[in-house]
Amino acid sequence: MTASTPAKRFRDLGSKAVPYLLIAPVVIYYFFFWFRPVLVTLIKSFQTAAGAFTLQNYHMVLTDPDFLVALRNTAIIVLFSVTLEFLGALFLALLINRKFTGSTFFLFVAMIPMALPGVAVAAMWLTGLTAHGWINSLLYYLGILAEGAKIYWLAGSEWKLLGLIILIDAWQVIPSMMIILLAGLQNIPEETIEAGYVFGGNFITVLRKITMPLLGPTIQTAVILRLISAIQIWLIIVLLVGFSRMPVLVERIVYYYKEVPNLDISLQMASGYAIVVSFIVSMVALLYLKVSGAFGGKKEAAQ
Amino acid sequence: MNKNPIKLGKLVRRTIFYLFIVTLAVSIILPVFFLVSLSFLSTRESYSFPLPLLPSLKTEYSLTHSDRGYLLSVYDKFDKEYQTVLDTAELEKMSVYMKNQIGTPYSIPKIEERIAELENGGKDTIFFSVRKNLLLNYTTFFQITRDAVPALLRSLQIAGLTILISLSIGSMAGYAFARYVFAGRDVLKFSVLFVRMFPGVAIALHMAIILANMGFYDKPIGLALVYSVGSIALTVWITASVFMGIPESLEEAAQVFGATKWQTFLRVTFPLALPGLAAAAMYTFLGAWTETVSAILLTQFNPTFSVVVYQSLLGAVGNVNLTAAGGLVLAIPSLIFTFFIRKYIQQMWGGMTI
Repeated sequence: MTASTPAKRFRDLGSKAVPYLLIAPVVIYYFFFWFRPVLVTLIKSFQTAAGAFTLQNYHMVLTDPDFLVALRNTAIIVLFSVTLEFLGALFLALLINRKFTGSTFFLFVAMIPMALPGVAVAAMWLTGLTAHGWINSLLYYLGILAEGAKIYWLAGSEWKLLGLIILIDAWQVIPSMMIILLAGLQNIPEETIEAGYVFGGNFITVLRKITMPLLGPTIQTAVILRLISAIQIWLIIVLLVGFSRMPVLVERIVYYYKEVPNLDISLQMASGYAIVVSFIVSMVALLYLKVSGAFGGKKEAAQ
Repeated sequence: MNKNPIKLGKLVRRTIFYLFIVTLAVSIILPVFFLVSLSFLSTRESYSFPLPLLPSLKTEYSLTHSDRGYLLSVYDKFDKEYQTVLDTAELEKMSVYMKNQIGTPYSIPKIEERIAELENGGKDTIFFSVRKNLLLNYTTFFQITRDAVPALLRSLQIAGLTILISLSIGSMAGYAFARYVFAGRDVLKFSVLFVRMFPGVAIALHMAIILANMGFYDKPIGLALVYSVGSIALTVWITASVFMGIPESLEEAAQVFGATKWQTFLRVTFPLALPGLAAAAMYTFLGAWTETVSAILLTQFNPTFSVVVYQSLLGAVGNVNLTAAGGLVLAIPSLIFTFFIRKYIQQMWGGMTI
């Protein structure tokens, strides 16, 4: 087809302005409802109530006795849950990587935990973890708990609670991460893997030298997106043990803004924590954009 | 004995594989199963330990005389005996107890019939069974939880508005990304992705002021505007990949036959894109329906349904059966929509490219 067909000419004429016109509503929307609130929050964080420049707001958040605890708890949850989820999901994906009867149904089942609203997940585990809950009942039926014996899941040290939170998060995330990795595995041509075995590789070498490098982009996508949501975990913690018992960063935002909204410092504290969370998440998001090739690379994979 | 050991080995391996798959599926489903089961338990059942694995469908009662009136007993399947639950002469009290605690609504006239049977039948004790109203927890949850029904409607309204905003704004941009090459395309594309990943909770605080200035604070449209920030980005990416999946040659063919660009879009591209657009809408629905933290921060007197369930859980003392019912009402739409768009979700989780 030559450039003189009406269709082509129309395209050439339109292609200059049309895409910008089509994208303009998104840009305008984001200017008003994303960029402006972010900018104003940032500017206000450097201002006193009267509008003068100050670092007092940051000083207040950073010296809050709960700040380091919240930061530490968040870091522990992110580190351990993402590691556990990635390794667990990879292990399962490698084991399951084949077509089998009922795989469609199984994949739907694996999607359920991620599809459930956070509040419903919390209801599920809250009714399970109380002393009279279904977990103790199940253990009793299985003969693991003696008559009259109870395990007090939600009592005890914060380390135990952190462990529980990480396990619950793993229950919710591993199945969906497994699906992501399975999709990635199934995109690797079978011949490539077979070639590795033909040339004398064993399972471990094929995994290390062929499967993992080819799975690389999928793993990056899955892990980084997971990091971003793990940083923002709070709901399950608050619904299991209440506010302030195990502070995490986002929990502090809700706490100051909604639970103690009438303190002089409520809004500053909430904003301060919000900026800390935004900063950390933005760093991870930029890392993600970098590995996705946003800054001149070639790969372009995204959610 | 076996002539074909290779086949046996294969069979064993397959059996182990399926056992593994089933174990995995069960451990995923088990907590969900208990939530469902709990939501059908009567209050009495939900306070017993161990909790019954399945809700009872009916209750066996026994009725006998006592000094104060009548003794009402309930058969306990676990202890395998009748246990006295009430000693009263007041029939209304008995009826209320049977409904609220055992989940078996039984009217006063019917109780009177039973009592007549006891008095005139010449028996010491009479036995009767009453069918349980399995949906009682659900109706009770909506009755005793302030705001539950309006909140449910509000959540649907918010989700609908969010779909409207993000589909109309987002799909246009998605079309542009799929069909045009232009300066700044990459910057725009990745900026949209960055906004999507930016924590919504961070903009919520200042959005409260912006919405208040617009008169939208604590109103469905206000939350829809906030949710649209994330879902527009998602819609852009989904619709871009949908439009990329529709061959350009189809559009060109239509234009060769004299259709204008606009007609081509309406008659050719749009119908082909419709299933993908529906998936984007359902994905948006899921996001808006399940979102909690912005809804908590940005509502005051008009909470969403997820906030109502959140509040009922936050102060939950006992009544796990009602909690479970509320949680399940919240979960059901999510599960249904996930089922409809499971193929798209798999694709999306598997990585998507524009």
